Amino acid sequence: MSFQVIGKVLPRKDGIAKVCGQEVYPSDIVVPNMLYGVTLRSPYPHAEILSIDTAAAEAMGAIVVTPDDVPDVIYNERTVSIPEKTYRDRRVLPRRARHVGEAIVAVAAETEELAFRAMRAIKVEYKVLPPVLDLDKAMDPGAAPLYEEIYLGDDKIEVRNNIACERIITVGDPEAGFAKADHIVEREYELPRVYHHQMETKTAVCRPEPNGGITVWATTQTIHNVRQLLGHIFGIPLSKVNVKKLAIGGSFGSSIQMNSIIPICVALALKARRPVKMVSSREDDIYDHAKFPARIRLKVGVKKDGTIVAADMRVMVDIGAHQINAYPLLGCMAGWYASLYKWRDFYYEGRAIYTNKVPACAMQGYGNPQVNFAVESHMDIIAEECGFDPVEFRLKNYVGIGDEFWGQGPTVKSIIKSCGVEEMLRKGAEMIGWANRRPHHEKSGRYRRGIGVARGFHTSGTGGPKPGEVIDYSSATIKINEDGTVDVMTPVMDLGGGTGEAAVKVVAEVLKVPYERVELSPVDTKTTGYDVCTHATRGVYCGCGAVYHVAQQVKTKLLEFAGRILEENPENLELAYEEEKNVSIVHVKGFKQKQITIGEVAKLAQIYSWGTIAATDSLRQKNCPPCFVAHFIEVEVDTWTGIVKIPRAILLSDTGTPINPDMVAGQLIGSLSRGMGYALYEETEYDLATGKLKCNGFITDNKIPTSCEMPYIDDIQVYFAHTYEPTGPFGAKGIGEAALNSVASAVANAIYNAIGIRFYRTPITPEKILQALEGGGKVGN
Amino acid sequence: MERRWIKLKVNGKERQLYIKPNELLLNVLRNELGLMGAKYGCGIGECGACTVLVNGRAMLSCLILAVTMEGQEITTVEGLGDYDRLHPLQRSFLDHGAVQCGFCTSGMLLTAKALLDENPCPDEEKIREYLRGNLCRCTGYTSIVKAVKEAAALMQVEQE
Repeated sequence: MSFQVIGKVLPRKDGIAKVCGQEVYPSDIVVPNMLYGVTLRSPYPHAEILSIDTAAAEAMGAIVVTPDDVPDVIYNERTVSIPEKTYRDRRVLPRRARHVGEAIVAVAAETEELAFRAMRAIKVEYKVLPPVLDLDKAMDPGAAPLYEEIYLGDDKIEVRNNIACERIITVGDPEAGFAKADHIVEREYELPRVYHHQMETKTAVCRPEPNGGITVWATTQTIHNVRQLLGHIFGIPLSKVNVKKLAIGGSFGSSIQMNSIIPICVALALKARRPVKMVSSREDDIYDHAKFPARIRLKVGVKKDGTIVAADMRVMVDIGAHQINAYPLLGCMAGWYASLYKWRDFYYEGRAIYTNKVPACAMQGYGNPQVNFAVESHMDIIAEECGFDPVEFRLKNYVGIGDEFWGQGPTVKSIIKSCGVEEMLRKGAEMIGWANRRPHHEKSGRYRRGIGVARGFHTSGTGGPKPGEVIDYSSATIKINEDGTVDVMTPVMDLGGGTGEAAVKVVAEVLKVPYERVELSPVDTKTTGYDVCTHATRGVYCGCGAVYHVAQQVKTKLLEFAGRILEENPENLELAYEEEKNVSIVHVKGFKQKQITIGEVAKLAQIYSWGTIAATDSLRQKNCPPCFVAHFIEVEVDTWTGIVKIPRAILLSDTGTPINPDMVAGQLIGSLSRGMGYALYEETEYDLATGKLKCNGFITDNKIPTSCEMPYIDDIQVYFAHTYEPTGPFGAKGIGEAALNSVASAVANAIYNAIGIRFYRTPITPEKILQALEGGGKVGN
Repeated sequence: MERRWIKLKVNGKERQLYIKPNELLLNVLRNELGLMGAKYGCGIGECGACTVLVNGRAMLSCLILAVTMEGQEITTVEGLGDYDRLHPLQRSFLDHGAVQCGFCTSGMLLTAKALLDENPCPDEEKIREYLRGNLCRCTGYTSIVKAVKEAAALMQVEQE
């Protein structure tokens, strides 16, 4: 299919501002007369707050907000699930600290320095409670409870054995399925807590308005959910709450919920009756959120011919001190599992456990990299034990075209209509030289190389034929200016991946307008319709799906006005891009001489007082197509130091039509880096005696990949499958989260192929490799 | 704390500032001069987002007391180029997809500038080594390294 701008490499709309230091992030917002806010955070993992003495701080001129000063509203900062499926357990400031680093008191003063001094002058009397830091002991009858009761929707519910929530799903008859199996493999996997490490720490600025409302500039992936929640917590009509859309300095899921400092900032600003700005320190930020860890027990039954007949997965997630999105996570993990391979009869059990740790939330993949690591390791184990080729075994059993895909747990499903799995596995195998891959026992010497494969996917959004437990739709407003340029108003956040450019390209393509004549408008929640969030890899498929839908309406209006001017039936008219003049025209079908530029149509519509050629609408996608990926990764293990290098990586993706091919490649390569971190380096470990992070909130002690660990430029190859998603804008699906999901799995499989040791836990650090090698190569970790 | 006058050059302009001796260069640039290109990412020299050039050398402005900058010459990303006269590095970052969220970009550009001033045609290994103190969580660095390499080649051609 040939397009005017879709699939072309064009400069990002925010690019020049970003390379000139002119792009505005929340931390760059300065409001006249603003105060600076900081928070006092709990030094204990579990403690009741008996008293707070703020006198000394207030004597210094500071404004102080304590748990007594915030509305007594218990909420969940993530409002994507329908209300009756939303667990609520937190207040703006708690009366009981449930993790080290939980904000207890907030302080605002004329300068940041004064705010810190005032914060230090506050005295808090704690009653220290026994903490729950070990997942294995959290459910013991004797374990200290984090909560006596929480809310599910409007219902108060009791919390037993620190089990926050659970989901159990059975499809078919797993027991009968296993009975048919010739071979059964069972293993346990463990994936760590990881810090998002977005480059900008979470920030909020709030200005109280003279009408009793507030204006908020904050780090978020969802301006509309922040707006609704702030209105709810502080009892402000939504017409008086305005949340601005700004650039975001990285997110990776860390801001799909309303960040904890946003309502704290609002509380300070309302009390001070002045604007307040809060920028989290890096330490505060590391103590604010983490990726969901997971312990996964997986059992799979397979027949001699390589057909899978049954599976059983049991998941335990240590969610930390609050439920942000644990319940939908458990559902999604079931969905990622159900949609990887045709298990036929299967069982799933997921449990989320409260502990006195930093609350876990979504991070690129939302349970998918965890499930993928277990399943894709398992596929290799079965293949080896049964003598199947890992690629062929996957091809025999994968969930593909015509199959049901669980895009968001058991309630959001659709039928797969585009699928590049086979193309990617065949092509990747050819590119990496799979046929020449040697088994680990043929390798020796200090440096041993291995090749690993893993495949995965992510959903594109959370749409479906009928409403499920998750809200999903997006809105857009588009107008044609009187010179033929176009303004696009979309509430969809661009997290850096190019969703904004994709929106512009979709509009340019529908209206046949040059790319440089379409611009994104600065918007906020007052000027846009609702968009749920840039999460679930939905930016392009759902966000730009809505943009496509509205652009079609604008086109209809444009043709109608053009019909009046040209005295033609609009049905006889069509749009075209005139390359020589670089303009968009409306002309009579088959008779291009009778034409008018769209700028002339818009200008005449204004002069004749017909109105502006514009439209506003919302759209819910009726599908959630999977965007597939495959990774073929080569590793080199130094058996003397345990250091793993990645000499080569083949990254394959099926995103349907790649609207921004350069940025799809950027997502794949960026995800390779984060996946390497997940596989080899990263974990936020706890000191089980104090409940503090071993890294103490420092980046240096929580290593993420730098420029030096990446494969060299020419050693990374990217490949796009040739697919077209019939339900997506110009055939597009998502890519964002998918790009990461099978990286760590492929690395672990490659390490096995290099040294013959199967690792069941990440990160696979040099220490763990040496330990395993010293254990005679038999010890799996 | 008593404020002091200091004189320094920022992006080619003489500036006089009346500042407290405990103020960090990063905060002075952002809050006093409104130069928001240098970013706060950690405040303790771990991430490189606040990198600026001091007399042509890449330095972390979050670790420098502004009063020590008396008589020094500072370049921030705003001084590297402007939207209508981009520095070849800025152009190259745009052309090679080296910008995603953009929060590390200013620091990356200035570190790269210091590198190319020191070594006009570094190989890939040298570029990786030089940039290792600047963290990026979006791009996986590859596009950034490539952008620096291509900018170096372009600048060489322009000089010849």
